This record gives sequence, structure tokens and C-alpha cells, in this order.
Amino acid sequence: MALITTENLRKVFPVRKRLFGGQEYVTAVDDVSFKIHRREVFGLVGESGSGKTTCGRLLLRLLEPTSGSIYYDGVDITKLTGRELLSFRRRVQMIFQNPYESLNPRFTVYDSVAEPLIIQRIADGEERRRRVIEALERVRLTPAESLLRRYPHELSGGQRQRVAIARALVTEPDFVVADEPVSMLDVSIRAGILNLMLDLRDDLDLTMLFITHDLAVARYMCDRIAVMHKGRIVELGSKEDVIENPQHPYTRALLSSVPRLHSLSKT
Amino acid sequence: MGIIEYARTSIKENWSLFRRSRMGLLGLAILAFFAFLALLAPIPRLIDDMYHPMVGVDPEISYSTPPSLRHPMGTDFMGRDLLSQFLSGAQIAFAVGITAAVISVLIGTAIGLTSGYYGGKVDALLMRLADIVLVLPGLPFIIVIAAALGKMSIWIIVLLIALLGWPGVARVIRAQTLSLRERPFVEAARVAGAGDRRILLHHLAPNVLPLTFLYAALGVSGAILTEASLSFIGLGDPSVVSWGMMLQWAFTTGHTFRAPYWILPPGLAISLLSLSFYLVGRALEEIINPRLREP
Repeated sequence: MALITTENLRKVFPVRKRLFGGQEYVTAVDDVSFKIHRREVFGLVGESGSGKTTCGRLLLRLLEPTSGSIYYDGVDITKLTGRELLSFRRRVQMIFQNPYESLNPRFTVYDSVAEPLIIQRIADGEERRRRVIEALERVRLTPAESLLRRYPHELSGGQRQRVAIARALVTEPDFVVADEPVSMLDVSIRAGILNLMLDLRDDLDLTMLFITHDLAVARYMCDRIAVMHKGRIVELGSKEDVIENPQHPYTRALLSSVPRLHSLSKT
Repeated sequence: MGIIEYARTSIKENWSLFRRSRMGLLGLAILAFFAFLALLAPIPRLIDDMYHPMVGVDPEISYSTPPSLRHPMGTDFMGRDLLSQFLSGAQIAFAVGITAAVISVLIGTAIGLTSGYYGGKVDALLMRLADIVLVLPGLPFIIVIAAALGKMSIWIIVLLIALLGWPGVARVIRAQTLSLRERPFVEAARVAGAGDRRILLHHLAPNVLPLTFLYAALGVSGAILTEASLSFIGLGDPSVVSWGMMLQWAFTTGHTFRAPYWILPPGLAISLLSLSFYLVGRALEEIINPRLREP
């Protein structure tokens, strides 16, 4: 059964106003419909500006759609307000692209990871501390105790992204949007983060929307892949279908731009 | 817990940067010297009633005298001790400067954060208000208010200085907030369910704090100078002995060119103390904005 269903999702951004005449618009997401099944890693692939990030933000209600609807567990989340919105936020989380930017530089590791618990009033005192340590251990940051009082600038990129993942998972969400979670990281630590995310998916029964421009990463992570181009989904299928047997010319273009090892030896 | 811990580490780090700025250290030294003088202010009147800066008069002197053993800095036209007046002036300068700067920086920061974070109509309204206050000519404006109110207490003067001083702060804090609110950690807070209040107080405010300190330091200089100007032209609080007031008494009794021992100390002190806050502010600015730092 689908955890998330979008129907004819559209998001239009107003851009600059012309001096005379009207407002100009850019359509970032154009008539997008898809379903994400429970415990699935659903990949959203495309070049920058294709609308994949906007799509992820719409699913989390960080942006309001211009039209269309989003059903989460059968409920249309585009109409949620107040308390209902807050409890929706508890069930969905996001992992951001740049771990140097997604953690508040003035927050310690403890402050960052505990913040969702504080906002959601889930646990306090010793219980809160226990949960924070548990979340840090879950992302294999050990010994967790020694990291609690560190600031982001004292951590490596990989450690920061692990802290960001711990923060995302501390409220035990069902659905996580990962927006290019490894693209800012050193190649040598990417595999570690990706494997961690797959393990967490299995351990915590997560459903994931995985946004990336990197088809190799998408192939490694995802069960199904949707290819976005200029705000529309041009191809959607299992990762085998999309990568082994691409139908749309844009997908083929994307695939042919993936560097291969033998092309490296030539230069 | 977090904030105190952060403050401790950041003070340690920034002090090592501050120490490299010679001008900043000079400013801090001057500032410390005057702070010490301000602390001494209550002592003279404990020694003898005639050392009270406002009502204490030497029973044997009824005109201005140069420095002597009894009066190390001399006396004014009616035999009041200039040293105790000078010390009282240091106290008033700190009180006026720091209070006015803190109030205007608090107002400026609150308005800047609100304006930058909410944007739209709120922003337009607050920034037009800031523009209006910004173009008011400060000193003439206070003079007009003073004329309308008659005698002003020192705290009304402080309040007026503060109310005229916030727009500059508000603009800078707003600009900083505009860039901060687009940073991913603000969006990350929203994903975690944070509301506007939490984002403003926990995520944005701590990140504009260094700028706030900088503007507080620079604001003190301006406030000290404004209070001195007002007192000098006779619009100060007549019940308070400030440096500007000492200069005014010397001027109105015709001692400007006859009594350097009376004129020079308060005049130099006003310049030096406002300079010291300015130097400290500049050194803070170099820490906050690394591009200003010399390689």
C-alpha cells in the first residue's frame, strides 16, 4: 500500500515583476503524480533545476503546492494546520544536502539532536538524554557521550551528516526525504553514509524519498526511480528498467553523462 | 547550559583574536582606566562633605582655584572640588553611554530580526519607520524636545538617545537576518516542527549576537558625546554632575580661557572615553568580519 500519493502536483514560483505588464512565473513542478510504497526507497533523479528538490519540499509541507494534492497515509496534508501539522512533522523528516549548513553553528550536538524532541514534547530530562544518545549510537557515532557537547565546526563532514541523520531519526519518523545527502561529502565517506541509510531503513522500517543527480548513487540506493526534467516526471520505473533500458531521451542523456573508469584512463 | 558553554569557548577564542589588535587593547586600557575612576566616584564625599560633587562647597574658597593639596584638580567658581566632579562625570558617562547603547541595540535587534524574518508588509512598515527616525537630525531634535519639556532628567535624555539610535542597528540586523533565514539550518528547524518564535529566538538571535555586541560598543561613544553636547549647551539634567556639565559651568562663568585645570580634564575625558569605545568596537568588528583583518 502506498504511504504517499501525489496527484497532479504543481508548484509555480513568482519571479521578478516587470515594470510594465505582469508578473513572471517559473513552473518548478508541473503536473507530477507518483506513489511511494511503504519501506521503499524512491529515487528522484534529475539535473539541477529539474524540480526534484522542490518536489521533496512539497511533500514535507515546507512549501505550499500551487495545485494538486498530497496524501500521506490517506490524509491530504496540504490542508493540515496547527496541532495536526505538528504531529505530521513528527512522522516525516528530512536529511539535507550540506551538513555544514543544516546544523545550527551555535548548537551543540546534543542541542541539535534534542531539538525535535523538545519541540514535539516527546521526552524530557533523563529520558531525553537517553534518546539522544540512542539516536547517536544508531548512526554509529560512538562514544556518543563524548560528542554531546561538541559544536559542528569541531566535527568532520561525515560526522556532521551522521549527526543530521540522528536528528532526523530521533522522533522515529516513518518517512524521510534525503536531499542529495552525500553530494557534499568526500567520496571516501559516501559509501559509509549510504550503507548506514540502507541499514536504518531496514531497522526502522523507513520509507525514503532519495533525491540525487547521481545515477550511480540512485542505482545503489533506490528500489524505484523517477527521472525529472523541467518539472515533469519523464520516466518512472524500477531501477533496473530505468537504468538498463531507458525509454526517454533525457534519461539516456543522463546515463551517458555518467563518467566511467575507462574514460578516466584516456585523459 | 548550551549558551553559557558557548559563551565561554567563544570568549576564549575571540580574546586571542582581540589581543592581536593593538588599537583594541589601547581602547580597552583607556576604558578600564575610566571604569576604575567611575568606581572611585562615591569615595570623596565620604571623606568630607565639602567633596560632594554637587552641593559640597569648600567653606574657605568662593572662587575658582588651581590644583592644591586640598583640591588636587582645583575648585570651580564657587569652591566645589573639581576632582570629585570629574569622578562623578566618569560614573555618569558610563551609566548614560552603556544604558542608552543597550536600549537602542535591544530595540534595533528586535526590530531588525522581526523585519528580516517576516518580510513583506511588516518589513516595509518597520523599515520606513527606521528611515523616518534615521533622517531626524539627532541633536536638534533632542534640543527641541528639551525646550518643550523644560528640565529633563538624565534618564529621559538616555531614552531619547536610545530612541534615535536604533535604526542603524535595525538595518544591519535585518540584512543579517535576511541571509540567515535562507540558511538550511532554519529549514531544518522547520522540518523539526519549530514555529516562528523558536526560529527567531533560538536559531536567528544567537547568530546575530556578535553584531549586536559590536553595535552596542559603537553606540556607547555616540551616546556619551550626545549627552556631553546637551549638557554643554545647558540642556542637561541640572541635578547631575557630568563632564559636559562641568564644561558648561566653566563656560558660563567665563573660565574657558582662564582655567585650563578646569576645562582640560573633562574635555579630554569625553574624547578619550568615546574614542576607547570606538576602538574596542573596531577591534570587535575585525573579529566578526575577518575580511577587515590585516594579513
